[in-house]
Amino acid sequence: MSLLWLIPALPLAGYLALAFGGSRLSRAAAAWIGVGSVGLSALVALGVAAQFIGTPPAGPAFHQTLWTWMSVEDFKPAIGFYLDAMTVVFVLVVTGVGFLIHLYSVEYMAGDEGFRRFFAYMNLFVASMLVLVMADNLLLLYLGWEGVGLCSYLLIGFWYKDRVNGRAAQKAFIVTRVGDTAMALGLFLLVWQFRTLDVQQLMTQAREQWRVGAGMATAAAALLLGGALGKSAQLPLQTWLPDAMAGPTPVSALIHAATMVTAGVYLIARTHVLFELAPAAQLAVAIIGAATLLISGFSALAQRDIKRVLAYSTISQIGYMFLALGVGAWSAAVFHFMTHAFFKALLFLGAGAVILSLHHEQDIHKMGGLWKRLPLTFWTFLAGSAALAGLPLITAGFYSKDLILWSAWSSNAGGPALWAAGLIGAFLTALYTTRLVCLVFFGEEKGRVASKPGWRVSAPLAILAALSIVGGFVETPRALGGIRWFGEFLRSALPAAPGVEEAPERMESAMMLIASAAALLGIVLAGVLYLGMPRVVEGIAKRAWGAAAQAFWLGGWGFDWLYDRLFVKPFVWAATVNRDDFIDSAYNGVAAFFSLLHRGIIRTQTGRVRWYAAGVALGAVALMAIVLWVR
Amino acid sequence: MSSADWIAISPLIAVAAAAVVVMMLAAFWRRHAIVAAASMIGLAVALFCVLPARSAAPRMVTGLLAIDEFGLFYVGLLLKGSLAVAAVSYGYLRARGRDAEEYYALLLTATLGCVTLAVSAHFVSFFLGLEILSVSLYALIAYTRERARSIEAGIKYLVLAAGSAAFLLFGMALLYAEYGAMGFAPLAKALKASGGANVYMLAGMALILVGAGFKLAAAPFHLWTPDVYEGAPAPATAFVAGVSKVAMAALLLRFLTQLGATDSRPILIALSALAVASMFAGNLLALLQRNVKRILAYSSIAHIGYLLVAFIAAGPMGAEAATFYLAAYMITTLIAFGVVAALSPRDRDADAMEDYQGLFWRRPWMGGAFVAALLSLAGIPLTAGFIGKYFVVASGIGSALWALVLILALNSAIGLFYYLRSVVAVYARPGEEAKAADRAPGFSLAGGVALAVLGFSLILLGVYPAPLLRLIQTAIASL
Repeated sequence: MSLLWLIPALPLAGYLALAFGGSRLSRAAAAWIGVGSVGLSALVALGVAAQFIGTPPAGPAFHQTLWTWMSVEDFKPAIGFYLDAMTVVFVLVVTGVGFLIHLYSVEYMAGDEGFRRFFAYMNLFVASMLVLVMADNLLLLYLGWEGVGLCSYLLIGFWYKDRVNGRAAQKAFIVTRVGDTAMALGLFLLVWQFRTLDVQQLMTQAREQWRVGAGMATAAAALLLGGALGKSAQLPLQTWLPDAMAGPTPVSALIHAATMVTAGVYLIARTHVLFELAPAAQLAVAIIGAATLLISGFSALAQRDIKRVLAYSTISQIGYMFLALGVGAWSAAVFHFMTHAFFKALLFLGAGAVILSLHHEQDIHKMGGLWKRLPLTFWTFLAGSAALAGLPLITAGFYSKDLILWSAWSSNAGGPALWAAGLIGAFLTALYTTRLVCLVFFGEEKGRVASKPGWRVSAPLAILAALSIVGGFVETPRALGGIRWFGEFLRSALPAAPGVEEAPERMESAMMLIASAAALLGIVLAGVLYLGMPRVVEGIAKRAWGAAAQAFWLGGWGFDWLYDRLFVKPFVWAATVNRDDFIDSAYNGVAAFFSLLHRGIIRTQTGRVRWYAAGVALGAVALMAIVLWVR
Repeated sequence: MSSADWIAISPLIAVAAAAVVVMMLAAFWRRHAIVAAASMIGLAVALFCVLPARSAAPRMVTGLLAIDEFGLFYVGLLLKGSLAVAAVSYGYLRARGRDAEEYYALLLTATLGCVTLAVSAHFVSFFLGLEILSVSLYALIAYTRERARSIEAGIKYLVLAAGSAAFLLFGMALLYAEYGAMGFAPLAKALKASGGANVYMLAGMALILVGAGFKLAAAPFHLWTPDVYEGAPAPATAFVAGVSKVAMAALLLRFLTQLGATDSRPILIALSALAVASMFAGNLLALLQRNVKRILAYSSIAHIGYLLVAFIAAGPMGAEAATFYLAAYMITTLIAFGVVAALSPRDRDADAMEDYQGLFWRRPWMGGAFVAALLSLAGIPLTAGFIGKYFVVASGIGSALWALVLILALNSAIGLFYYLRSVVAVYARPGEEAKAADRAPGFSLAGGVALAVLGFSLILLGVYPAPLLRLIQTAIASL
């Protein structure tokens, strides 16, 4: 436990070594440092987790305060870490999945001239993410939050020589900034109200001092929700994530699928007390989650770029997590976070392997028949797709999604409408996932496979595929064994969803069957449509309404178009009109005023010693006059 | 004097002995490296002597020197500063060639003056320390005598320092005439017995503030600063700016605290006037300056203004803030002038902004250190300067000095302009002629190590100030 600090410190050290070692390091050394630091960190995380499970700490959590940065009255920001059951899950996923993706990147990025820079940024990202999930106070949490935002920006625009990538990075940064501003205000509000930065103290005091539905609690929860929406790409701040696919594929896997985008989920789960005190805000979380998962599910159906399909699918799956959070099923959200990290990282890495072997071809309509050429990639991708589609019984994604759907139905905060949205989403997920697999791996061969992946790509794929299958057996419905390990483990940190446990088992089984049917229906329908009757799909696409829907969904429901009209264009127009910024003239006035003062006072520096001596004498007189006059 | 007394003042003795040894070496064995090493060893021995001296503290030695935690904290700080200056000087002087040996003897006697000031609790030791320091500085400033500017700076400093010392002496005389005491403690007792401040006391204090204000370069006694900083060889400037000011500030802190002068409204107003004048004068003068040494000179004037805010803030909080600020300021200043010294070519000092154009791309470590120093001076987080400024502001707010704190904030904003302009220069793409001159003639291994240690301390204090703070708290508690 005392080694807790090593978990974020190792990747940070890796970053520093890579950043300062720079071009002096050979590629091999850079790879060793970059992968090794995260690998060691994962090992330490495993050891800490084993100890946490073996000998649980006295309270709900283990606390490690390294030092206090500064201390002035109530303002005592500490460099301190907080490890409870939820943190254990996040730390294991971040370091474990992070390590596999780093290993994969050694091969994926092998020919890139920015090899060292890439690993430096990736290490910094892992360090920031760990600081974010381990922080015991708001300041450190915010440092991690902004750190991952910075790394996301740097890595989306990693190939900065292409303008498009730079724009995508800026878009991601600016859109999330809207949410971050709300979140910063929320943090200020909390600190202002409770005069402490410590997250746990804040939660205790909030529970004691605020009643349910209090205006202040709703405001704080809503502001934090704003931050979560930006980072997790939920409605209405979801538009940055599809464009973020401009970064290298391992970045998409690590940052824009498995870890960073779930920071919003972490934030809400960490401050769940506030959301319990603010039912309105919590309902908003559920509704936003449901709406997001539907909208992006439809969008995923129409995409042509393999990475954009996965990007919309990520938005949709995080929508599920928000839905779970919104109905109070905190541990279900964390469960889905974990399984999603496995299978979505797998899918992105698999997509990367496909893209690489086809000379950076990303259009799924130009792929096909790859199952024979890339067998390992195919089988692992299939496992990930099955988990994403929620193939019943044998995949991790099925169990976590089923738990969310069941919670949405049975929780006191849930209801049939939320459940129905989730169910339609499950059908859509199965549909677009199967479409993707069919177009990429089956049908006629269209591209030529140039190279086959090596072991550094294959090993992470295989491990993640295994996790995507077995990762779900830690929490199962009552009809299927009723394993409750995951929920029990998290119980010390996150309360159970009210009403879920009490609901009848027969209902749960029925719901499970309906959810399974929806997923299977989607899989079969897509299989039939895209493999058996591709004419029908083409026919629909040729009709006017079909083409319109496709274009509408392809563009992500026109949000980009809307925001462009609503915000970007007017802003650019205002900036153009105000080219000689009238507000600037005030600042220029200040600057001119001070340069005028400068020009006046610089005349005193004559360089003549007699004048300087006179200055001392006059100063002495003035000082004497002051003390004697005010006496 | 008992043996414990000798142990208590052993750091002072070690510095004095080192000065004598170096003088002898300079006379008989003129080897620059040997002399430089001997002086650094002497300073290190003196630094080591602080440990036994601490075990003998607190103790008044001969009624002149107060060896307590406060004094010894500053002695340690000043010795470390001198050590850094000596290390930086070596490369600088080596690049200049001849007659470098006596420089170290002067540096050691100046250091002796500084440490005497830090522990003196009596007008006699105060004045003695000040004069040992000043006389050594006259020669140090004019040491590169082939440069006319250096001689000019030395003479300017001589005339003005002697003049201001006269004010100081007259102030002391007024206090002695009124209260019949010259030690700080007896003076405080007499002051209390007489029931508070009268005209003599206030006039005397004002005159002492003139003398101290001159040494600290507080406005309006600051006019000498840019000329002397520019003319003096860069390592000597580092000493004047980084070390001698810390010594003077330490003495002033002890003097004002022990006399309870910070409870006296006229004195506080006088200090506030000095603070406000220094902040504005320093920052406004620096604004469009393009000579780096002059920028640093003006910036140091402004920093003394910030420091005085902590002086005015009542209680231990203010004294702690002032002490932390001084430590951070010393480290930062030594880095800045250390880089100037290392970059200086043989015939002049690297003081034009053009010398720093694209420094980061030519010499990343040196450029990084310089930028760190500038950011610390500007008070950007994660540097020692930020924590120092933060404590000063906090102590000001704690004593409800709203006007002063607002002025401080305004001045920090003005200051950002010229600090960031210098930072921009360091990161700009180097011009062709700058590339051709891609050398650091004044760089030596010793100087490099000193800069590395200072740079590390700068960041360390910015993220992990707690240990130093604890040390400072014990030091202030002994006052």
